[in-house]
Amino acid sequence: MQQLQNSSSSNQTESPVTAIQSWLVSQLSDVLSIDSSTIDVKQPLTRYGLDSIDAVTLVGDLEDWLDLELPSTLLWDYPTIEKASTYLVQEFDVSV
Amino acid sequence: MKELKQYQLAERLEQALGNPSDPKSRMSFHQTAQLDEAESFPEQEIDWLYNWQLQHYYIPEDCGGRFKSFEEFVAFVRVLSRRDLNIAIAFTTLFWSNLAWMAGTEAQKQTLAEAMKKEHVAMCLAYSERDHGSDLVGGSVTAQKVEGGYLLNGEKWPINRATISQFVFVLGRTDPAGGNRGLTLFMVDKRQLDPSQYYNLPKIKTLGIRAADMSGIGFNNCFIPESVRLGEEGQGLEFALEGFQITRSLCAAFAQGATDTALRTTLNFALSRRLYNKTVVEMPHARRTLANAFIDILTCDCVNIGAARGFHVAPEQFSVWSAVDKYFVPDTLERAVNDVSVVLGARFYMRDEHDWGVFQKMLRDNAIISMFDGSSVVNLHALILQRRQLAKKRARRQPKQIAAIQARLAQSFSLTQPLPTFVPQKLELFSRGADDVLQGLETMLEELGQLQAGGVAPDILNQLRSFGQIILEELDAQDALIAESAFEHGHDQSFESFELAKQYCRLHAATACLLMWLHNRQVLGDFFAQGEWLVLALHRLLAPLRASLKPMPPVYYEHAAQELLRLHAEDKLFSIVPFQLAKSSTQETHNHATAPELQLL
Ligand SMILES: Cc1cc2nc3c(=O)[nH]c(=O)nc-3n(C[C@H](O)[C@H](O)[C@H](O)COP(=O)(O)OP(=O)(O)OC[C@H]3O[C@@H](n4cnc5c(N)ncnc54)[C@H](O)[C@@H]3O)c2cc1C
Repeated sequence: MQQLQNSSSSNQTESPVTAIQSWLVSQLSDVLSIDSSTIDVKQPLTRYGLDSIDAVTLVGDLEDWLDLELPSTLLWDYPTIEKASTYLVQEFDVSV
Repeated sequence: MKELKQYQLAERLEQALGNPSDPKSRMSFHQTAQLDEAESFPEQEIDWLYNWQLQHYYIPEDCGGRFKSFEEFVAFVRVLSRRDLNIAIAFTTLFWSNLAWMAGTEAQKQTLAEAMKKEHVAMCLAYSERDHGSDLVGGSVTAQKVEGGYLLNGEKWPINRATISQFVFVLGRTDPAGGNRGLTLFMVDKRQLDPSQYYNLPKIKTLGIRAADMSGIGFNNCFIPESVRLGEEGQGLEFALEGFQITRSLCAAFAQGATDTALRTTLNFALSRRLYNKTVVEMPHARRTLANAFIDILTCDCVNIGAARGFHVAPEQFSVWSAVDKYFVPDTLERAVNDVSVVLGARFYMRDEHDWGVFQKMLRDNAIISMFDGSSVVNLHALILQRRQLAKKRARRQPKQIAAIQARLAQSFSLTQPLPTFVPQKLELFSRGADDVLQGLETMLEELGQLQAGGVAPDILNQLRSFGQIILEELDAQDALIAESAFEHGHDQSFESFELAKQYCRLHAATACLLMWLHNRQVLGDFFAQGEWLVLALHRLLAPLRASLKPMPPVYYEHAAQELLRLHAEDKLFSIVPFQLAKSSTQETHNHATAPELQLL
């Protein structure tokens, strides 16, 4: 079981899905220099100008954070923050 | 020099073709100049290559072919390319078959392998579109699902061998919504299509490779059966990007062949042209210019031969290695050819003077290598997007990983070590921050530090150690800069980040040179082992990063020039593996290597 550390939100009651979502939102707002409140987790990442290789390198950052090896096309297959987070929790048993 | 079996095929092909300076030989400069002027496709020459069964070396052994290693492959592509890039490129579109070897079913692989061997088929890669260029995801050729297959619609342009080929690897949009999973790759046998459902676009007039079949292909509700789909729907982009990793590294060999000829024909001139009571080659400026081009060729050998071998050892890192190789080698060699043109003087610009005008032809033909199959900017961009992770991974290396890197580097760079079979399925969209070459730098420097002076002059060893230290300092500084700077996404990368990526390539190349030398000092002959060339190569690579570097001893350049003249006189390839080229049947051979050394003041 993977423990989420260094989560941008240290809220103890946060579910793993929400923790991954907030991490992805904060990464994306960093990378794209946009306000995190403008990011909708249900919108495809490409909507925010994230191109195919960006999406792959973001998986690399996720791997570092979770200390897990993930499929490089994860964000192609689950192209919204919501879908990717749910998939990660279901498939990799990630927990806070 | 030890026998290196992986170069025997290239040598055999070379001998079978004969010396290209001899107008009577096949694919001579005389003949290929005529084909180029007439802009006519080199059909007979390509037939000859099929009859020689060269296509078998594009097919992996487990598919019934004779492909053994990319090191062997780049060596024979170089032999073709030094004669004529029209022929080399037209025949080598066969390397798109790698898409089938990577993504095809057993049945698809067998179909293609049999067709290549028995029916002598050719193929093209149809990715680009007039309105979308490098933006593959933006492509508008569609593949709509219908009963039993797909309907293709739209045009692909500009495509090399779009018309004169039997197979086309075409990327089509299967998901109307687009996106990274919206593309699918198909391996279409045009002979099985209804001819009324597709058409070819007219020949495009180009600056170089004028004899090429540069055209395009259009589809009009064109039915293709489901059996021609490679992989699953939506895997097209993944296959395209991974396939490029293979072909981009191989492209460097085109530039290497072209540069050999550009330098060789210039030497023919510089050795015979007399001015002010001396030959051009005796004039210090010309001599240094030629020696520098030779050093550039040796540098590019270290990068490209290392990469060709690395495919077998660390395929998962090729999103980085192939980007470095495809940017660095063609770019460096294009500049080398331009520099050498100064020595050839007015004749560099003439289409039928001096060796049938082969210099200007190589100059024109070679100019496309850095542009097609992912241009220099596209490759640098691919590197930029991975740069932050490269820095992170390097900072986090553990001793166990370092030992593994060292072992992989020894296998990638020792030309006498056997290589494992290449497994294309191991290619990855990104390297997860790994680049053995630069991440093995410190251990390589330790080895260099421990090297006893036996066989290597102490001055050389000291100089190499000091250059190695500079590579490390520059890399550390660059990594620190990357860690501090804000990360830009996608296509908003600054001009400066491209410059930094170029520097990364320089450092990668410099380290590849050191690795090649360390691992082959006992293998590649005295000139190679002595290491003066390596000092010069590192100086050339590092001087733009360190303005304070002192000039190198003139005697090193003189020895490089002597070696160049020896290889020229003996008809040997300008390379770290200078194998025997076909000798001329008519030309008298001068042994310039025994000529007295230039007086050094
Ligand atoms: C001789 C020849 C043979 C070819 N053969 C084939 C073939 O067989 N099959 C095939 O599919 N295509 C082929 N091409 C097409 C070639 O690969 C495309 O031309 C290429 O994709 C670039 O497209 P473009 O020129 O339309 O440039 P665009 O993609 O429109 O780019 C224009 C400019 O935008 C900038 N740019 C683009 N991308 C980036 C980036 N990532 N980062 C920063 N800047 C960027 C660069 O300055 C670039 O030059 C061939 C082209 C030629 C000339």
